[in-house]
Amino acid sequence: MGHPRVDAIAQEAREAVAAAQSSAELEQVRVRFLGRQGVLTQLLRSLGTLAPEERPRVGAAANAAKRELEALLDARLPRALEAERRASRARERLDLTLPGRRPPRGALHPLTRVHDEIVAIFAGLGFSVVEGPEVETDYFNFEALNIPRDHPARDMQDTFYLSESTLLRTHTSPVQIRAMRTRKPPVRIIVPGKVFRRDVADMSHSPMFHQVEGLAVDRAITMGDLKGTLELFARQMFGPASRIRFRPSFFPFTEPSAEVDVLCFVCDGAGCRLCKQGGWLEILGSGMVHPRVLKNVGYDPEQVTGWAFGMGIERIAMLKYGIDDLRLFFDNDLRFLRQFA
Amino acid sequence: MKIPYKWLQEFVDLRLSPAEAADRLTNAGIEVAAVTPLAPDVRGVVVGEIEAIERELGESHGHRLLLCRVSTGSQKFSVICGAPNTKVGVRAAFAPPGAVLPGQRRVETATIRGVPSQGMLCSERELGFGPEPEDGILVLDGDAPLGRDLVAHLGLDDHVLEVEVTPNRPDCLSVLGVARELAALTGARLRAPKIVLKEAGPPARTLVRVRIEAPDLCHRFTARAITGVTVGPSPAWLQARLRAVGLRPISNVVDVTNYVLWELGHPLHAFDYDTVTDATIVVRRARAGESFTTLDGQAHALDDSMLVIADPRRAIGIAGVMGGANTEVTDRTTRVLLESAWFSPVSIRRTARTLGLKTDAAYRFERGADIEALVDASARAAALIAELTRGVVARGLVDAYPRRRPPRRISLRMARVERVLGVVPPRAKARAILAGLGLPTRQKGRDLEVDVPSFRRDLALEDDLVEELIRVWGYDKLPSTLPASVVDVVRHPATLVQAQTVRRALVGAGLAEAIAHAFSDPARAALLRAPGAPEPLRLLNPLSQDASLLRIHPLEGVLAAVAVNVRRQQPDVGVFEICKTYEADTGETGAREPRWVAIALTGARAEHAWHTTDARVDVYDAKGLGEHVLDALGVSGLRPGGVGRLAGFEADCHGTLVGEAGTIAAEFGEVAAAVREAFGIDTPVLAAAVSLDVAAAAPQVPLRYRALPRFPAVQRDLAFVLGADQPWTAAEIEAKLAEAAGPLLRRVTLFDVFRFPDGRRSLAWRLTFQAEDRTLTDDEVNRVQERITEALRGTFGVTLRSA
Repeated sequence: MGHPRVDAIAQEAREAVAAAQSSAELEQVRVRFLGRQGVLTQLLRSLGTLAPEERPRVGAAANAAKRELEALLDARLPRALEAERRASRARERLDLTLPGRRPPRGALHPLTRVHDEIVAIFAGLGFSVVEGPEVETDYFNFEALNIPRDHPARDMQDTFYLSESTLLRTHTSPVQIRAMRTRKPPVRIIVPGKVFRRDVADMSHSPMFHQVEGLAVDRAITMGDLKGTLELFARQMFGPASRIRFRPSFFPFTEPSAEVDVLCFVCDGAGCRLCKQGGWLEILGSGMVHPRVLKNVGYDPEQVTGWAFGMGIERIAMLKYGIDDLRLFFDNDLRFLRQFA
Repeated sequence: MKIPYKWLQEFVDLRLSPAEAADRLTNAGIEVAAVTPLAPDVRGVVVGEIEAIERELGESHGHRLLLCRVSTGSQKFSVICGAPNTKVGVRAAFAPPGAVLPGQRRVETATIRGVPSQGMLCSERELGFGPEPEDGILVLDGDAPLGRDLVAHLGLDDHVLEVEVTPNRPDCLSVLGVARELAALTGARLRAPKIVLKEAGPPARTLVRVRIEAPDLCHRFTARAITGVTVGPSPAWLQARLRAVGLRPISNVVDVTNYVLWELGHPLHAFDYDTVTDATIVVRRARAGESFTTLDGQAHALDDSMLVIADPRRAIGIAGVMGGANTEVTDRTTRVLLESAWFSPVSIRRTARTLGLKTDAAYRFERGADIEALVDASARAAALIAELTRGVVARGLVDAYPRRRPPRRISLRMARVERVLGVVPPRAKARAILAGLGLPTRQKGRDLEVDVPSFRRDLALEDDLVEELIRVWGYDKLPSTLPASVVDVVRHPATLVQAQTVRRALVGAGLAEAIAHAFSDPARAALLRAPGAPEPLRLLNPLSQDASLLRIHPLEGVLAAVAVNVRRQQPDVGVFEICKTYEADTGETGAREPRWVAIALTGARAEHAWHTTDARVDVYDAKGLGEHVLDALGVSGLRPGGVGRLAGFEADCHGTLVGEAGTIAAEFGEVAAAVREAFGIDTPVLAAAVSLDVAAAAPQVPLRYRALPRFPAVQRDLAFVLGADQPWTAAEIEAKLAEAAGPLLRRVTLFDVFRFPDGRRSLAWRLTFQAEDRTLTDDEVNRVQERITEALRGTFGVTLRSA
């Protein structure tokens, strides 16, 4: 089987592997026997110079030796490397308190978070999002919503005008009109978006802010349904113990109209700084869609009824996160934004 | 509107505290913003009488200092006083030692010029009652009970309700109106003020003539004449009431008109009868260019949309807004012409706004005054004027009322109530509620017929009555139900889905989302407006000049955000905003609102840490984020585009990306120094703007699985050298390379770029070759490689570096 010369080389190689102390020495063994100029490589290359009858024996023995050596090295090398890594770790004394390499961390704007949350809650109730233009006509923003020209109700919302008949929308309600004009009941939509009021920016005012409008119109929709829906919303948004109350109010496009308060979740209604001792926090305005508004979009108020609500996203975010200055939302200070990462 | 609680109690018996009453009102839609004590800071001040002036102590600030003996009935005090109106026998406000004045000022025995003064006689200002300049101690009526608490004596031991009345409820802009509401809410009886009017002398119609020449704007005008009046200050009670509601006392005649305005809600005006030419009132439109000076001394240019009260010669008042200086009641007035009228709300509102006159009268007329109640208001005021001025009210009311309004009647179906609310009160309850509100009802079958009184013109539709019912019955009676289920697919618009995709991608890439104002500063906009770009949209009524345009450039918001952070010691910024720009358009709204993702970067690329380098962001970071966004949005086949359309980038560092459709989907580059300096940023800013509209229009490649390769890949690295004078771009070379390589090339990555000192460039690509049906041989790959090098040498004259 063997061949004395090859056996000698193989034995030498085995001893060399056994004697090797490190991955580097193992590598030297590989080079010495299996490298381009290695002993076994040379031997295999020189088979042609041997006598023909010797060639198969030497060749077979050399190949067997080569495979054996490769197997030996493959077995030893990983263990050597592992041992060396361990030794190296021990030498370096790893300080695992060094901060890890974190991927960069971005941040969603807090208004986006609240927006997404509101959209998700109402999507779960079957409401689709609809969007509309921010530059609006006087008709959609006011007249179609039962707020005629030269009516004091216009004072409720100080308006930025672009021309006699166009303006920056003061609420998301014009999208109600646009949506109802293009679809038949039943309608279930929510309308998030930017709105504009001519208010100087301070802790609680901003010339631009965000609203979400909700609208449901169908054959048998009642104010009770509005209450039930908003109760459900409040529990999702502010926690399962949350309670709301309705207070009469006035909006030209709803009749009856209601302001909705949520029980202060800081003090549970006992009175604290957040609710200014009142126990309740105002969160939105709502009501039954005014019959004139239904008529304006070509619906018959005797056939369908509907409700609508509008809430400020900033207001909800301020309550939810305890933010006390509206201007923070639009300053975009990273120390603020990163708190909502 | 300020409503003193005791005044309310004159008209309705309430067994509620002011705070409880406020709660009831708020819960019925009449919001009470605050309940405040009227004189919270004065304690222990009483009615005292100066019994004697014992001696003079010399002068101080031009006034004689007098040592007085003051009696409070049970006690006597030695008090020094320097007021000019100090007189023996006068009863005045006296603060004995221990009393407290506004500002927690405690009155003690003080020593003045060596003489002890036990307390002080007080002026109105010291008591915090009036801002008036000091004109001496507060002198009280001669019969004011000695020793009585001053606050109680003046009726100031009261609370004021700050009522915020919504525009639909002008009837609540008065004490009586709020009292009526409280009566309805509590079931208590409403007691309207008793009007006892004594008339005498010649009939009023022989003294005053009224002619309405603009019956469209003035539906009713009444006048009374009061003769023999003596104009002077009002009595203390009246002055106190006016002050309590925030009005300044002027004279008895004027004060009465204001008092009745507050009490009954109807605005009145008193003219000096003898200044009205021919004692004739003409209600007419102003003449174009007519000029008029109001009571406050301001001259106004009027136009023919405005209504004036005139005499045959000239205008004497702007109807429903403000009277004129030419007919003002003065202390020489002996006869008064009292106006009580009704004007068109729209006209009053336009006039008041055009002239910039916000008056209590205009506020009520533009919301709608009560055309019937104005008669009572006139009588109430006439009676009070006669009483306070010792005048005589001429007999009768001159009443020009050309067209009476028909009374309004609304049917209320109980079924409708239930349909709207989901619940209905028993019919008897409904009738009681409406009756309490002053709305008489009649039963008609199962339903009701409701007569709407003139003070509730806001009630026009059946649903208005539905609201009245539930408002008084209580919103807590509403059931809590959910809408009957509708089976419909929830569909969100593509724009929303797109925005959410962008946010996920960029937040995942470590950026913070910004939201900034949509307004633009014209000075900055000028730098950001590309030649030939559409006109910016301008606000007619901006809050300030520097926010008078709508945003014209997508980067405005993120640059503002960078500026804020750099200024606040946060030099490393990576932000994005999903925003709109606004441009003039011919559509319905006159505007187009293109949507964008704006990205801005400045400072270090990575957070400063033990394992990071301090490399700074460069233009490829901005470009890469733009590509990342487009990639996330499924825009495929991205390649460099032509010249960008957006201004605001450095000319030599401004690139674009186009998708398969060829339209520019993103622009990126370094923000021009002039632009960032205009934002107050002094470090380089790299930015990208991705058009969401272009991205949305890009053809979407539907997701399809491609079988994983079954045969091994072969990798080759090729480096090419470009001479310093060879202008070819990496993209051009790579495109050619890919073309020459053919279908076996699976991936090509530019992995190394550097410049030799002599200006030559080296670009190295790693090429991955793979076939779907076989293992590639070295020879095959060598042939492809050969084709590539040949093509690149032939086309660009670039050479393989390793060759």
